[in-house]
Amino acid sequence: MTEALRSGLRVARRVFSRPAPAAALAYLALLAAAALLAVPLGLDPLSQDLVRMLEGPSREHPFGTDELGRDILARAIFGARTSLMTAAGAVSLAAAIGVPMGLVAGFFGGWRDAVLMRVVDLMLALPGIMLALALIAVLGRSQAAALVAVGLTGVPTFARVARAQVLSLRRRDFVVAVEAFGASSGYTLMRTVLPNSWSPILTQMVVLSSVAILLEAALAFLGVGIPPPTPSWGEMLRTGKEYLHESPTYAVLPGIVLTLTILAFDTIGRALSTVLEGRDTLIGRPVADPP
Amino acid sequence: MPPPVLSIRSLTVTFFGSGAPVPAVRGVDLDVHAGEVLGIVGESGSGKSVTALAAAGLLPQNAQVSGSIMLAGREIVGAAPALLRRMRGQEIGVVFQDPSTTLNPLLPVGRQITEGEVAHGRLRPSEAPQRAVALLRSVDIADPQNRAVQYPHQFSGGMRQRAVIAMAMAGQPRLIIADEPTTALDVTVQAQVLDLIARRQRETGAAVVLITHDLGVVAEVAHRVAVMYGGRIVETGSVREIFARPHHPYTAALLRSAPRIDAAGGRLDPIPGQPPTPSELPPGCSFRPRCAVGGGRDRCAAEVPPLRPVAPDRAAACHFAEEVRVAASPVRSAPLPDTARRRPDAPALLAVENLAVHFPIRAGLLRRVVRTVRAVDGVSLRIAPGETLGLVGESGCGKTTTGRAIMGLVLTSGGSITFDGQRIDGLPRGAMRAVRRQMQYVFQDPFSSLNPMLTVGDAVAEPLRIHGLFDEMGGARWIATLFDMVGLSVSVANRLPREFSGGQKQRIGIARALALRPKLLILDEPVASLDVSIQAQIVNLLEDLQRELGLAYLFIAHDLSVVKHVSDRVAVMYLGRIVEEGEKAELYRTPVHPYTQALLSAVPAPDATAAGMRRRIILEGELPDPAAPPAGCHFHPRCFRASDRCATEAPRFERHPGLASFRACHHAGPLAAGGPSARPEAAVP
Amino acid sequence: MIGFVARRLLQLVPVLLGASALIFAMMYAVPGGPVGVLVGENATPEQIAAVTQQFGLDRPVIVQYGEWLARALGGDLGLSLHSREPVLKLIAERLPATLQLAVGATVIGLALGIPIALASALAQGTWLDRILSGWSALALGVPTFWVGILLILLFAVELGLLPAASAYVPFWEDPWQAVRHTILPAFTLGLYVSGIFARFLRGSLISELAADYVRTARSKGLAERVIVLRHVLRNALLPFITIVGIALAGFIGGAVVTEAVFTYPGLGRLVIQAISTRDYPLVQGAILVILVIYVLINLAVDILYVYIDPRIEYH
Repeated sequence: MTEALRSGLRVARRVFSRPAPAAALAYLALLAAAALLAVPLGLDPLSQDLVRMLEGPSREHPFGTDELGRDILARAIFGARTSLMTAAGAVSLAAAIGVPMGLVAGFFGGWRDAVLMRVVDLMLALPGIMLALALIAVLGRSQAAALVAVGLTGVPTFARVARAQVLSLRRRDFVVAVEAFGASSGYTLMRTVLPNSWSPILTQMVVLSSVAILLEAALAFLGVGIPPPTPSWGEMLRTGKEYLHESPTYAVLPGIVLTLTILAFDTIGRALSTVLEGRDTLIGRPVADPP
Repeated sequence: MPPPVLSIRSLTVTFFGSGAPVPAVRGVDLDVHAGEVLGIVGESGSGKSVTALAAAGLLPQNAQVSGSIMLAGREIVGAAPALLRRMRGQEIGVVFQDPSTTLNPLLPVGRQITEGEVAHGRLRPSEAPQRAVALLRSVDIADPQNRAVQYPHQFSGGMRQRAVIAMAMAGQPRLIIADEPTTALDVTVQAQVLDLIARRQRETGAAVVLITHDLGVVAEVAHRVAVMYGGRIVETGSVREIFARPHHPYTAALLRSAPRIDAAGGRLDPIPGQPPTPSELPPGCSFRPRCAVGGGRDRCAAEVPPLRPVAPDRAAACHFAEEVRVAASPVRSAPLPDTARRRPDAPALLAVENLAVHFPIRAGLLRRVVRTVRAVDGVSLRIAPGETLGLVGESGCGKTTTGRAIMGLVLTSGGSITFDGQRIDGLPRGAMRAVRRQMQYVFQDPFSSLNPMLTVGDAVAEPLRIHGLFDEMGGARWIATLFDMVGLSVSVANRLPREFSGGQKQRIGIARALALRPKLLILDEPVASLDVSIQAQIVNLLEDLQRELGLAYLFIAHDLSVVKHVSDRVAVMYLGRIVEEGEKAELYRTPVHPYTQALLSAVPAPDATAAGMRRRIILEGELPDPAAPPAGCHFHPRCFRASDRCATEAPRFERHPGLASFRACHHAGPLAAGGPSARPEAAVP
Repeated sequence: MIGFVARRLLQLVPVLLGASALIFAMMYAVPGGPVGVLVGENATPEQIAAVTQQFGLDRPVIVQYGEWLARALGGDLGLSLHSREPVLKLIAERLPATLQLAVGATVIGLALGIPIALASALAQGTWLDRILSGWSALALGVPTFWVGILLILLFAVELGLLPAASAYVPFWEDPWQAVRHTILPAFTLGLYVSGIFARFLRGSLISELAADYVRTARSKGLAERVIVLRHVLRNALLPFITIVGIALAGFIGGAVVTEAVFTYPGLGRLVIQAISTRDYPLVQGAILVILVIYVLINLAVDILYVYIDPRIEYH
């Protein structure tokens, strides 16, 4: 156990010693801190000031006000809470369902593999956002629905990654060795294969976080995300677009934070991928050996 | 004498990367003349491949090269890229090691063979297809018209390498560099390819630089030899003289420690320690830590010995070259009396009868079984307690599958396996667990046989924990004993596998296999991935352990020299069947099955004198598809004794009259000539 | 080859059946069930009974599913609740627009992505590579709807050059207007997908550049340009085809967000509109059609790949 921790710290050090991931981590930390400290700091996303609607940047409202006179900066920071929490929940859900699916399919093969992979094919039969929309159509509009919809969209990725990892490990001699000693399937799977599979799964979790944030914002932009008055970046962009002529700067800030957050997760994910597997892209091709 | 085709002076190659610069080559001088084959011999980290690649100008960007390389009168070091490009293909051709990755999988072979010549304007595109066919014919590829338009994956390994040779020689280059050209090939195919290289070299008069770690290959093909160690040349000379009378301690030690097909077996004389990595070279002479002659002498630690002449046309880089003891002939120490160890009269520990392992291949819409790969097709063998049975064969013969089937890792399709009096084939998993205490497995690749997340101490203890026997067997003290038995200090037990070398990892793998105190060890190519000097250490270790613990071994390998040293009895497999089996000395001295005879004759021995004299049996053709084996005797299409009967009637496995061996052949019998290092005279095209 | 295609088609059947069953089941998952959808929330018991009778909603679900499926296979996807027009007709009207956008976006994506990937891979590790890779990351990470908004802000609001709301103008009718209306959404999508293309192709190129056969080609004295074009690019493009196909397929329904930004009359927007008006037959029909097209395009890409790669032998 401690060995896992030590190797985790080693990886973290290697990942965050590069400038881009370090900057990304700093940004995310700042964002999270702002989200947590927003209330004590007195930022209020909900107080309306109907006198000062749709204003551009000013001293009291650095990024202007929205159509109900609410401070855009405050709403943007609160939107971070929504996004980060939804992303965390969705990714956890996707991993909790997808990883066991992939492990079982890859390890046992046979009919289990066939059935589980058909289920995955089913989930991949629609483009991601369409699948989410279809789910929302059924589940209605709520925070839970958004989380479930985004989460289920991510299941196939985890299933495939886990399955691929198990398949490649199964042939490695040390897995065969454990079977040769007389270990049961359960021991082989849980104590030998799984501990050696965590690196691509962890990478996917980070990368999928960026996708989850994007997807959640997209759903909100389309008007089927988390219902108001919860502040959400996608919702702000939706409204901002409507008022594009009146207040051109409305849509700017939410877009910036959204983009930065997505990029931050993506950057960290790519750095993780390079460090853990020597791959520079997440499509699964190894990099040329550096000198 | 005309000037040498290749002339290297003071070559230094350093690699720059994220860490400290790595000195891969530290001052190399050599000459190669037209019509001559120079063999460069060395183990991993010796710098031999880097030297050759430097001569071709093919080193990566991060390599800094200094010194002088004159090829056909032109300087390569620092040359303009355009000049280098022009020289390639015309002055120099390269044959790389791995034929499966050397060719572009998406282009037809014929196109790849001629594209260099076309690019240089020496061949018109309209004439290229004809030339490709001609070149394929020159390397003995049958049906060259059709083969030229096929893709690499449709060629077998040996054919691919021959195509690569054709490609390298397409421009009639004056220098050919062959970097481990046969290492990835089976022994019989290796013989074909080496023969081809030698023949083409004679026909074109090219100079050849042959890089290898195999002393037998050098003895077979080379005229002169340069031995490299730690990035420098440590000895040069004609091949005959170097083998007869080495002048450098490393060369002498290498000759003593290498398993050889022409030795009588018995204990090897390993070199202690392991070859240095280029980034961690010891000060002074890099061989000093392992040297029997210089170890402990100040001069060796202080001064790097220069390569100096020690005899006419001989040079050695050793301060004390005169003291190197002459190894007149390979060590022929009599094997230790094994009466105490082997108990051939005791009931067989392992008895396998008619074992069959068939893999179905499914295809088509309904996934019907269209063919069956008969990986193991009726194998019977016996191992008595305390004895070693060597199971040899080339790739695809089914020896690994046999080992895994006996271990229960692969389902059997027929036959019986009896271990210690109990039928174990088809046992349910629970019952098999108990059996697995007595029978254990050692894997080939030390780099993948240990769980990277477990410390080596935990890895060795893992079998005990799986069976819940950790305390019962002695707990931590037993683990310490195991480490000690394999020659490792138990203080390293809490390190991770990646901190160990290949040889050390293999020792750990052996310790792990011994943890449950088994009676039988199945070893699948346990030394194939190791350097020659390390192989000897592990082989000796295995023999010592066998004596101490009364173990029986099933030793699966393709290297006939190693098997000769280790085994008591040997069984030869071909395409899923055992073709010959017998006591080691008798089988190696007078093989009676044609395949065994061809196999043994194909193995090169590090004895240049004998190499010139012996005739070899070169098998035609390739290994057949295991899913469609020839009818009757599997071997008959390639057999030099085959008759009509062989095509229809599969020979029975029975005792050969007059000998203790068993064989499956209608026309079995010893070859004409006899003698200890004799090779058969019957030569075949 | 025929056998391979047939086998893949057969493998699709369970997926299509399962998906269509789930789509059919959507109606039952919403509050009120299919009856509620048809008659609204404040219906009298008589109305409910009448509708149940009329549409046969009291029969076993399996039977209803079977009938629905049979009708769908025959081209009858029902009537839109909102406009009373045949669902299939509404979908068919939107299809050309969707295709035009998909093709345009793919072309822009390739035009941007391939050169960037090539330059990046050949200059691997240099500042150029870092900048280009950063650009690809940006192209991937910036949400399409935000890019769309910014583009509208620039070109429509500030500069007034291009329309803010795009209509569908078939290319063969009026090329100039078609470009004016399609360029912004196509560029938005194309930018995003160029990031994916560039990243994948770069990785593929780098991996092929390090392959042994490239060293062999150099050892024959081939010029670097020839090596890159004839050996490396060809080998790297092979798996790349799959990615392009998947992207193209994805635009058929997955461009919904961009379509929403530009109010472009594509299939994605149709689904959104249908959802917001609770027009379930239309939602079902549209999703079903999107699904079938998506799956078929993916299959076509797979078959193409198998056909082109000489290493794969198909029985």
